Amino acid sequence: MSKPSRWKTYRPVIALSILSMLVCGLAYPLLITGVSQAAFPYQANGSQVQLGGRAVGSYYIDNGFTFPIFFQGRNETNPLAASASGVDPDITLSDALSQVPRISSATGIPAPSLDALVKAHEHWTLWVTGDPYVNVLELNLALIAAYPSSYPGYA
Amino acid sequence: MIDAIQALTVVAILASALISGSLLAPYVVRVLTGAPTRLDRLLDPVEKRVYRLIGADPAVTMGWKQYFFAALLLNVAQMAIAFAILVGQGVLPLNPQGFPGLSWDLALNTVVSFATNTNLQHYAGEATLSYFSQMTAIQFLQFTSAATGICVMAAMVRGFKPGSVHMGNFYVDFVRVLTRIVLPLCVLAALVLVALGVPQTIGGYVTVKTVEGATQTLLVGPVASLVAIMQIGTNGGGYFGANSAYPFQNPNPATDVLQIYLMLLIPTTLIFVFGEMIGKKKETRPILIGSYTLLAVDLVMAFLGSIPVVGPGIETRFGGFFSTFWTVITTAVTTGSVNASLAGINPLGILSAFMGMLIQATPGGKGVGVMYMIMYVVITVFVVGLMTGRTPEYLGAKINARDVKLVMIAFLVHPIAILVPTIAAYATKAVDAIPGFSSLPTSVGFTQVLYEFTSSAANNGSDFFGAAANTPFFNLATAAVIFVGRYVPIAILLALAGSMIGRKRVAQQSLRTDGVAFSVVLIGSILLLVVLTFLPFLMLGPLLTYFQGMVNFFG
Repeated sequence: MSKPSRWKTYRPVIALSILSMLVCGLAYPLLITGVSQAAFPYQANGSQVQLGGRAVGSYYIDNGFTFPIFFQGRNETNPLAASASGVDPDITLSDALSQVPRISSATGIPAPSLDALVKAHEHWTLWVTGDPYVNVLELNLALIAAYPSSYPGYA
Repeated sequence: MIDAIQALTVVAILASALISGSLLAPYVVRVLTGAPTRLDRLLDPVEKRVYRLIGADPAVTMGWKQYFFAALLLNVAQMAIAFAILVGQGVLPLNPQGFPGLSWDLALNTVVSFATNTNLQHYAGEATLSYFSQMTAIQFLQFTSAATGICVMAAMVRGFKPGSVHMGNFYVDFVRVLTRIVLPLCVLAALVLVALGVPQTIGGYVTVKTVEGATQTLLVGPVASLVAIMQIGTNGGGYFGANSAYPFQNPNPATDVLQIYLMLLIPTTLIFVFGEMIGKKKETRPILIGSYTLLAVDLVMAFLGSIPVVGPGIETRFGGFFSTFWTVITTAVTTGSVNASLAGINPLGILSAFMGMLIQATPGGKGVGVMYMIMYVVITVFVVGLMTGRTPEYLGAKINARDVKLVMIAFLVHPIAILVPTIAAYATKAVDAIPGFSSLPTSVGFTQVLYEFTSSAANNGSDFFGAAANTPFFNLATAAVIFVGRYVPIAILLALAGSMIGRKRVAQQSLRTDGVAFSVVLIGSILLLVVLTFLPFLMLGPLLTYFQGMVNFFG
């Protein structure tokens, strides 16, 4: 093949691959970023949760609670208990309720009140039905808000 | 087992995919046939300029060879661009985490994997790729591989259409599919995903002090734009190593259901597109009945196994039900995204996943699912012809000896590409390089290796190993399997379609292929072909694990 005809064959291939990269790889994600930052800044930046005026984590990422006064997330260091992501923000309702006696004895908050608080923050895998679970960070922030005197220095 | 409400959820999601697929199909057909659409006033001038810029004449029509090689060359050129970006990301912009370039074998594996709609990942994105790479290498190839799949299917259907004289023009198909179908859908889906909680920023990872005062890094990035195309394009390669199990990729049940729906949307649409493009809507029936019946069988099989409320490798917000459901769907449409660790799924669920990837048409990947279904139809027509003593015909065309040879070769590519490297991985002791492999029970280890190559050959991309398989053997072996598993069957099936052009068509076929009876025979022959080919290997893998009484693959 002579040079010009080879160029005629390869030009669409080369030009279209560059053009598609610019459109799909740059224009598209940057457009979505721009619109998202303007329309949904909270979600677009990782659904950051505030406590006492500063960001303490994301609603969707395990906050790593270890103190006995707080509800704790899944034990991600044990492979047979760990989630797939390693940062599962949720625990089952029964897991949360099983932690109530520990929190009650560590803080002095009556167990029935803690049970009620847990139940008030239930979510379900099928919205209104399915398996109940709680978001650990959401629950602990509610705990701090409801019993500020038991959590000095947090609120 | 699942309960009634969960069963209803499954039916509702499948029904939504079927309804929206049938509604979207006429529009897709208009795009593929160049009929007027509402977007013309906006996009026609843009397209004209694109054709001029790239030096392609949209009026030129192509034969199957020209069409195939245009697609292959374009994909290879796109791989080259992405390869350069991945290897050189250390000096490229938008790299706030300062990640270095990838090794050549990992970069090669990654670009082959993504350009072929496979998305097998031997890396964890959040610890390996810059924002620039996630956008200009990963998302870029996810778009182009999805568009390529739809294009080659359109070409194949044109070949089979009675009275057609050419396969179309690849460049025109590619540009129109990208700008009129894939991009608009992704823009919409990405914004919905952000609204539901998926991050979208290029501002760098965020470091915070947790409630208890520890330091935590939030791995935010341009996630939603990637999730939209990875699901709509049946790509499956995630932003994070944990894929859609990672909360930023799939934060809640709403995004989970949306992503399952998005995976099913285009493959289901293309089933309806087939009948409309052929000009005989009824011919969609066997493909529709066949693919969705087999999908239902896979779902029932998976749900018969253990469905834990929460267990190891299962995210609390999805539970065993949504994790198992997702695993079946993601393999049925060969997406390959996961919302759980595969090791946490019960052995029957993993067997279902294998069936999805081995059949590749339930309803299968973008475009290629329908192509494989046509392949099975031709095989079935031939078998039925032998049994009834009549000349096999499909869409009025006589099926000759060469056609049958072609479809048989296309079918056989798959077992060879899966089984040979699986055995090679053991024979060369390459499996020993995978951390922790030697301590796994034999059936669990074998399931994982077989899954790796099945997923590669089927261009699915889900796997047990993830970054653990980042070894030269697995990077190069899976890259080769992916390449063969993608382009060889496409080339053969396009050759078959190309040979249909100009072939004499009879008005009245001796065997009707648009009825329920034929659909049943089609399902039977698919199961027979696939089960006979792979049963010994499935016995040594997930079936053995099941009979050993294990509830999952944690060993």
